Amino acid sequence: MTILITGADGYLGRHVTAALRRAGRDDLLLAVRARDAAELAAKRARLGRAEHEVIAADLREPAALSDADPRDITTIIHAAATIRFDVDRETAERVNVHGTTVVRDFARRCPKLERFAVLSTLYAAGRHTGEIPEARLGDAGFVNHYEWSKWAAEEKVLADGDLPVTVLRLPTVVANDETGWVTQRNVFHKTLKLYYRGLLSLLPGDPATPLSLATARFTVEAIVALLAADPGVYHVSPEPASLRTAIDTAFTVFERDPAFRLPRPVVCDRDSFLDLLKAAEGLRGSPLGDAIAPISTFAEQLYLPKSFSTERMRAAWPGYRAADPTALIGVVCARLTHEWGGHACTT
Amino acid sequence: MNLPAEVYVGSFGYALGDRRFHVEESAAAGRLRSSSRDLREAGFDLHHVCDPGTSAYDLAKAAVKEIASLGRTDAIVYATCLPLNANAGDVSALAESRDVKCLMDFPAGRLQADLDLGEPIVVGLGQQACTSMLGSLRVAAALLATEPDWERVLCVTADRFPEGALYEQAFNLISDGAAACVVGREPAEFRLVTVHQISNGRLGQATDEVTVGTYFAYTHRLVQETLDRAGLTIGDIDWVVPQNTHVTAWRILARLLGVDEAKVWFPSMPRVGHVISADNVVNVSDLLASGQVRPGQRVALVMAGFGLTWQCAILEATE
Repeated sequence: MTILITGADGYLGRHVTAALRRAGRDDLLLAVRARDAAELAAKRARLGRAEHEVIAADLREPAALSDADPRDITTIIHAAATIRFDVDRETAERVNVHGTTVVRDFARRCPKLERFAVLSTLYAAGRHTGEIPEARLGDAGFVNHYEWSKWAAEEKVLADGDLPVTVLRLPTVVANDETGWVTQRNVFHKTLKLYYRGLLSLLPGDPATPLSLATARFTVEAIVALLAADPGVYHVSPEPASLRTAIDTAFTVFERDPAFRLPRPVVCDRDSFLDLLKAAEGLRGSPLGDAIAPISTFAEQLYLPKSFSTERMRAAWPGYRAADPTALIGVVCARLTHEWGGHACTT
Repeated sequence: MNLPAEVYVGSFGYALGDRRFHVEESAAAGRLRSSSRDLREAGFDLHHVCDPGTSAYDLAKAAVKEIASLGRTDAIVYATCLPLNANAGDVSALAESRDVKCLMDFPAGRLQADLDLGEPIVVGLGQQACTSMLGSLRVAAALLATEPDWERVLCVTADRFPEGALYEQAFNLISDGAAACVVGREPAEFRLVTVHQISNGRLGQATDEVTVGTYFAYTHRLVQETLDRAGLTIGDIDWVVPQNTHVTAWRILARLLGVDEAKVWFPSMPRVGHVISADNVVNVSDLLASGQVRPGQRVALVMAGFGLTWQCAILEATE
């Protein structure tokens, strides 16, 4: 009885591994990407409790899991992925789509397999709007290659229905836990930094767009809990905060410093934001263009309001417990402002 | 600001630096920070640079001379963006003479004498950067409010960049230039409805990036607050005459404010670049020359400047 975790050295992979160990699971097989023996040794030293517990697996290769014995595997948690919104199509396809195919094919060779959990994202819904069901989704188009690749990966494991697949569509993780401690930055943090530094005063998106922001603790607790639930699709989404609430909360924190004297951002339509991005490209050599670029691959999603059904998730996870989204944003911003130091009015 | 019931603005004039360059020429001459391609994409083409012997005061005098009939002038509000342009003297003389008189060779005084303007009182206006001309309108209206016997205030703004300076600020192509107009009690092209200013000294040394980054929220707030002061809505504004800055910036702001982009009037931009605090006068002159302004129409003049400071004036066209 062994749990195989791919991407075990990634942010969520590490948290999932730790959570399972805390739950008394010592039968883990941790698959990590390693360029050579030295890197594998380093990751074994960091992650493994025994040498045999950590194996090298580059999921871009068809035989990536040749070091894993399928006869022992009862559960697979497929966490390996590229999660950059600005990932190019080829990389997204190789890592997220082909990589999932490799794990799926391995799963088919596991005679004792009870659960194949694929960590997906709420953004796999792409350009769908409105109520998103906890079910397989059609192709409504996508804002970026990352979204597309996660949807396509879901299709690879859901289409045939021959495996005990659980697809977990995860939220945007903005902190490790309720204290607001952040060890992995993403577009959420980068965007807030732009506002704090006075580099952006437009707010792209529909202010009412719900944002599913969560802690790694919530996300991992959900993953572990839902391993025991029936197969299917689950939205690992806490109560959302609206985009407007998120920004207002952030500025309320920023404004605790009396020296912070910047106006709150003005809501702009999609065309205006695209114009801004195009103009920012023309500021070559300026930090402004570089700073705004990362959010360009994400912001369009803010014009596609959607809410995620969580009935299946809540029914299958009686211990559901999530941080208040506004409070979470507040503590994250407080941490970040301390870390960032000076803002536009002090630098 | 409570303006006197009837204060008018008109008699617009302006002057530009002697030499005219394409952005490519200035890029090659090292006057710019951005590439000529980026500035062209922003909407710039030509700009004007003073000959070494031409001063900001020379520009001011040329701008005032554009005003056909100046008449009795009770005050001059002389505004500059760069503090050094508020002195017409030879600063280098200080080293030899050790006499600070050369630092007090006031250009408005020279105007009095050179143009035989009589003895108007002189007010220097500084620290409002590119918004100085709009600040001048406010000060002029305030002077008329407190001096019942006065009829006319001459507003002048004039700047040239020092030799060797970059002719680019916050991604804008700069021209040396001056502008003038008259604020008075006699009906003129426009009635002055209101002037409003916001400033944030905490951004006094803001980088170009922060200047640009905060531009939208502050300009949006500025226009909204100005409308509120005047008891107007954006639907009451027929024309917006902004500064000459990136064409996309005002495409975005037009949407934010709910203004038809065709009503945002700054056609002089490719021809003259950003003429420091003279942009509004250059553009409103063009607007009047176009023959499109109808009596009763309202025009919002909008400017942002270092400091950071933002000003907006609302004018109403007369019969």
